[in-house]
Amino acid sequence: MKLRVVLGYTAAGATVLVAVLTPFLLFPLFSKGVAALPLHVDEVYSGGPTVRAISMGAYSIDVHRPVYPHFLQSEKPFVQLDWNPVSALPQHVSDEVDIDGDGQPDIRVCFEVPRDPKPPLRVDVVSLNPRYQTMQNAGKEKFSRLIVRVDNAILVRVPLANP
Amino acid sequence: MPAFASCGEAIILGLVSGPACIAACGPILVPSLLAEHKGFRPHARYLSVFLAARLLGYMLFAVVAWELGLLASLLPAPRLLLMGVVYVLLAGVLLWYAYSARRSCAQPCADSKLVQITENRNHGVTGAAALGLLTGLNLCPPFVVAGIRAAQMGSMAAALLFFAVFFLGTSIWFVPFVGLGCIVRNQAVITVARMAMVLIALYYLSMGIAMLLGKKAYGY
Amino acid sequence: MATDARTLPLARPAPRGIGWSLLLTLPILVWSLLMFFNPGSSKTPIWIISGAITALFMTTLFFMMMRSRSTYRWRRIFFVSLGVLFPIGFIYNIVVMRGTMGIPVEEMIAGRTPFCFMPIPMLILPAAFTRTLVFPGSIASASHGIAAMVGVWLALTLVMGKGWCSYACFFGGIEEGVAAIPARAKIRKLDPRLRYLPWAVLLAMVLLSLALFEPAYCMWLCPFKAVSEYVAARNLLGLVQNVIFILLFAGLVIVLPFLTKKRTQCSWFCPFGAFQSIFNKISIFEVKIDKERCKPCLVCLNACPNLSLSKESVARGETLLSCMKCGACVDVCPRQAIVWHIKGTEIAWKPERARLMFLYAAWAMAIMFGGSIIAQGIATILHFIV
Repeated sequence: MKLRVVLGYTAAGATVLVAVLTPFLLFPLFSKGVAALPLHVDEVYSGGPTVRAISMGAYSIDVHRPVYPHFLQSEKPFVQLDWNPVSALPQHVSDEVDIDGDGQPDIRVCFEVPRDPKPPLRVDVVSLNPRYQTMQNAGKEKFSRLIVRVDNAILVRVPLANP
Repeated sequence: MPAFASCGEAIILGLVSGPACIAACGPILVPSLLAEHKGFRPHARYLSVFLAARLLGYMLFAVVAWELGLLASLLPAPRLLLMGVVYVLLAGVLLWYAYSARRSCAQPCADSKLVQITENRNHGVTGAAALGLLTGLNLCPPFVVAGIRAAQMGSMAAALLFFAVFFLGTSIWFVPFVGLGCIVRNQAVITVARMAMVLIALYYLSMGIAMLLGKKAYGY
Repeated sequence: MATDARTLPLARPAPRGIGWSLLLTLPILVWSLLMFFNPGSSKTPIWIISGAITALFMTTLFFMMMRSRSTYRWRRIFFVSLGVLFPIGFIYNIVVMRGTMGIPVEEMIAGRTPFCFMPIPMLILPAAFTRTLVFPGSIASASHGIAAMVGVWLALTLVMGKGWCSYACFFGGIEEGVAAIPARAKIRKLDPRLRYLPWAVLLAMVLLSLALFEPAYCMWLCPFKAVSEYVAARNLLGLVQNVIFILLFAGLVIVLPFLTKKRTQCSWFCPFGAFQSIFNKISIFEVKIDKERCKPCLVCLNACPNLSLSKESVARGETLLSCMKCGACVDVCPRQAIVWHIKGTEIAWKPERARLMFLYAAWAMAIMFGGSIIAQGIATILHFIV
């Protein structure tokens, strides 16, 4: 019984110590520990890692790895393309993009670049490869089908065709 | 040799698709298992009935779809309609299950001590069978992938064999669910399981109605 | 030891002397100053004023806890202030940053959605199966990142267990404030089965979050979206979601607490609260009932804002797993049968020592986490005034 009492008070004292150490030691330690775990934010949100960049002279197009939704997720598979920097883009962008790197263009993408960043963007995508879907006057309907401006880039997500 | 190769492909596809099957069936299976008796044997029995009914659902779909043209059946529009119907039925069965599981309790729910759970064998069997059949008919993404592959088989028998082996591969992932039998059964656990069934049923009902009205809730 | 416990006076103890109370408060004063005026941090005049007000506020409340020997009403003042000031500071910040309370898809893609603690249980299964966090935020961001919030949550949970819901949660204060308004409860008969509902919501949301691969609770059921941020309603689905958020907030956080004088969202709905209850098992501090001293008059059942006591649990001499250590039952018990307790020690043996140890740990955490949120809210108000 006495041992239990000693252990109880020791644990209570340790808890107070944990509280005192939290802002200086434990909080940074725990946060770094969590950040170091092999986890990543769902690519449906982040768009997946960039696999290559296509230089278009003054600007470039970053091609991301295709993203496939998990389980019953309500999105289609898609591929994200980033046009950046926005300041170097012409007012009207019309580019043929070779997504898979086989030397053949896969889609033609057309959109206007307004000077004011506020107005919503619209994009037309013409599929030149049946793997990618055509989009007409698309805005930001879904994570897998959109055009948005994020910081200094314009992101276009093109859905992959049905299996 | 080609049959052996396609069986190998089906079982690998099933094993790889297992987590997706767990994710798709988990919301239905976990609460209904928690509303069952404690112990490995009742859980193994429930799971066997559930999986057998799920296999029946697979086969039923395969036969009907083969007659109608399997690939056509997997097109988005009919799939959406079928899933809408299956979701509404799933919601109905879950609600019925949650209602009927009240008889599993022998004492008032406020008592958090262990209670004696009454015998109610038929409830578990029919519930497991209904839920298994409907999850078998539920066109989740791994099922669709297997369906497309089966559609490329030369005959209905080969397609059925592919589905059956695929089913076996996915079923291995369900075995750990028997472990839920270790969890103590008291009024609290059964009430929580029943309430969770109602919440999940409401979700399926809303998604099913949305699909029947032509609004895509998920799927491609 | 047992003899000591039984010989404790039945009458409510007299207030502690001012000198002793001041002495006991001194560590908290030092801690407050350290938290709000730590050397090396550059602060604006508004921040210095709001920090000073917060430090004074938290220290005064602790002094009153020491002086009066009661916990609940002073903690409630802090907690309601936290609940009211959090939306003020938070909404102002996000409106300044993005011009709306709705989260635009651009912010989600950029990983700038602030992460609150609510989705933590929903992230576990998807992360375990696929190493993916189903939240449109950033893992490493220092200010609103997932790792930072999980780190704070881990530390506070180690210290307080379910005490999180009384000393750290920045949502529960609103309903606790609303529940304090009426003198008497209009609805007194509450179905005890409803206290199982948070567990059911937790189970359903964890399973659906894995299936749908999205934080299902945040997407569909979080009442506090109404006072923080929400998915911008771009279509019918978004509109339905926002209607659900507002109805749940109005019902569970405003109307029902007013009618029942209970924290109904916490007791009947919050899945994070259910999840947090599990950590009461590892927390060293708890509230116990001395069965020999208990009458039982069941005054504590009415006083508990979280329905964490039942007749059966009182008979067993313990609170339910959902006890959030607010101290309401301890303060209200006419026979001092309900006491703060350190696991392993004799029940009712020097309960004030257990209370002090718990309060030092919990209040230090409250100042660090909740205090900074209160200071942010005060700074926002000062920003508008000055």
